[in-house]
Amino acid sequence: MDAVQISNVTKTFGAVTAVDDLSLVVPEGSVYGFIGPNGSGKTTTMRMIASIFYPDRGDVRVFGRQMLGARSELIGYLPEERGLYRKMTVQALLEFYGELRSGRKVTAEVESWLKKLDLAKWASQKVQTLSKGMSQKVQFIAAVVPAPRLLILDEPFSGLDPVSADTLRSAILDLRRGGVTVILSTHDMHVAENMCDYICMIFRGRKVLDGTLASIQDQYGIDTIRVAADGGAQFLDGLPDVERVRDFGQVQELRMARGCDPQQVLRTLIERTRVTSFSIMKPSLHDIFVRIAGPEAGEAQIA
Amino acid sequence: MHNRQHRILLIAKRDYLATIRTKAFIIGLVVAPLLFGGGFLGVALMQSKPDIKERRIAIIDGSGVVAAAVIQAAQERNAKDLFDKTTHRQVQPHYVFETLPPAADPKAERLALSERVRHERLYAFIEIAPTVLSAPAATNDTGNAKDSKPGPVATYTNAGGFDEASGWLSGSINDGIRRVRLARLGVDPSRLSDVLASVKVDRFGLVSRDPKTGEIHEASKKNEVAEFGVPFGIMLLLGMIVMVGSSPMLSAVTEDKAQRLVEMLLGMATPFELMMGKVLGALGTSLTSSAFYIIGGTLALEGMGLSGMVPFAVFPWFYAYLIADVIFLCSFAAALGAGCGSPQDAQQLAIVLLAPVMIPYFMITFIMQQPNGAISTALSLFPPFTPMLMLLRQAMPGGGVPAWQPWVGLVGVLAFTLVMVVAAARIFRVAILLQGKTPKVAELVRWAVRG
Repeated sequence: MDAVQISNVTKTFGAVTAVDDLSLVVPEGSVYGFIGPNGSGKTTTMRMIASIFYPDRGDVRVFGRQMLGARSELIGYLPEERGLYRKMTVQALLEFYGELRSGRKVTAEVESWLKKLDLAKWASQKVQTLSKGMSQKVQFIAAVVPAPRLLILDEPFSGLDPVSADTLRSAILDLRRGGVTVILSTHDMHVAENMCDYICMIFRGRKVLDGTLASIQDQYGIDTIRVAADGGAQFLDGLPDVERVRDFGQVQELRMARGCDPQQVLRTLIERTRVTSFSIMKPSLHDIFVRIAGPEAGEAQIA
Repeated sequence: MHNRQHRILLIAKRDYLATIRTKAFIIGLVVAPLLFGGGFLGVALMQSKPDIKERRIAIIDGSGVVAAAVIQAAQERNAKDLFDKTTHRQVQPHYVFETLPPAADPKAERLALSERVRHERLYAFIEIAPTVLSAPAATNDTGNAKDSKPGPVATYTNAGGFDEASGWLSGSINDGIRRVRLARLGVDPSRLSDVLASVKVDRFGLVSRDPKTGEIHEASKKNEVAEFGVPFGIMLLLGMIVMVGSSPMLSAVTEDKAQRLVEMLLGMATPFELMMGKVLGALGTSLTSSAFYIIGGTLALEGMGLSGMVPFAVFPWFYAYLIADVIFLCSFAAALGAGCGSPQDAQQLAIVLLAPVMIPYFMITFIMQQPNGAISTALSLFPPFTPMLMLLRQAMPGGGVPAWQPWVGLVGVLAFTLVMVVAAARIFRVAILLQGKTPKVAELVRWAVRG
């Protein structure tokens, strides 16, 4: 069974169409990532899945059922804008949230998660004494206690330091291994590439990409050269059949025009400077994102 | 899937405990009655320290015969009222009179006396017309400020509108004039005081018959404290508890919204459950406050031997109105709070929220004068005002509110509360996740109607 089925959903706010005729399917047990620029409709879509917003048109089903505004303990939701009752203790707060979602006492689950995320010694402390990273872990626990079947995470890694981000990533993947379906949104393309089984890009309320990373990249073909050379980008001007150069500092990415011969590009480069690395590859998700939503979007040619 | 009631009660419990455990609540529980009661205490204290500075009054007697009688009457009154009979403390100013003949230029004389009043060498002056003894009986003052022509007796003063001396002087002047009239009719001047002596008029309620035994119960004497203080006090208490319970809701919802708490909760509870949980939490707070005040007040009155004044019969109505009022106002506050873009916006709207409690306070005198008049009845059946005004009428001893009116009022209030809760829930659902924008009134109305 698919965890989520969205069919021809439209949601407007006044004159603004936040989501426009969107359809997608989230397979059960997968990690499904939403990417897209700010204001593209990711959060609105996730709020509709969580039944916080109702679609104006179309149908949203979670595990085959229309939620119609009801709340279910099957769904854990971590919003992007998340606050906590600052004067409650960590343990009391998490037990309150857990009981609110499930209708039963969740003391054992809370203790287990606090231990798992190294927060056990903070259980009796007030939330206002926690650091930002610890607060974010507490917010995550609030979304996963008791264990949901569908976990919706809006920008879960935003603002986290690398250690906390690793802890959270590991926890999410553990849940996924336990059969939980995870829907997350992210602006970090590495997170989408590395964590998500399926990626959906929403742009101006419409779905513009949907599938596995490989299938998305296949739509663009092998049109990218990643090169590292002495002197960097200054030797890359005017290369034959190269449409665009993206300079990352130590490395540059070249987008080849249709019919471009990468061997010819390599020969030209070697004539100009000493090449230390040269790879022919599919475009990165970052590059695809920029091609769709960046300034040159009008010029982009989707294969 | 667990039920909606459980989530509502869980949110209510959290909000209730979070509120009653705060220092602000505990301090407010004590401070609120002090603030309300402090005003009355202040007035009582000021009244216990009256201005007893000697007051000099000049009388221009055009009749030539009235001034002496007025002065005699005033001095007799003054001698009687000057000291408190129990404490023997002076409680009234001593009035000293001087008589002036009418001058050739009355205007100049009035101006000169006015200057003396302005320089505080005189407290007031009285001008008695030559025709005073044949003047027709006084009629009620029309209050027409344009009609500045003096009557047979005019008092000129610089004192404020609520000057007690005016009433006191008016009584003395009339007393004096009556004395002259009676003397002319041949009444022995030495008996005039007896003739004019007032008698005490006691006020009683009505005689009733016991429906079970048939026994006739004598009417009981009316008690001013019970007649005014008890209804006013219980209405004041209701208003105070409703305000203390409902006014924090506006800022609480705005703060939850500003601190991004709401969306976390909306992932677990529906907007209606969230709003109702908050409303019931506030209701719990109000019931706690009311229990504190009612039990405390009853024990205090019992301790003072005044337990007979406790209006136990209206307590069930008090709680019915309290519950309806708090639910209605808290729902309204939650909807307004959800629509507010910032706590500053919420503060500006707080006055709107207090209107159903504050407006009835301005009607107290009118309602107490005519508790069963058509306007009083209509106002007390207007749902936003019913809790305060119907309770006031019901709490008046012998108020005689027809039995059907409180029930009709309560049904109206409950229906009104239901409509408000539904409308507020619709506004709350739409507005609670709006950020960076304060909706217009037209939008709020549209959401309330259509959701």
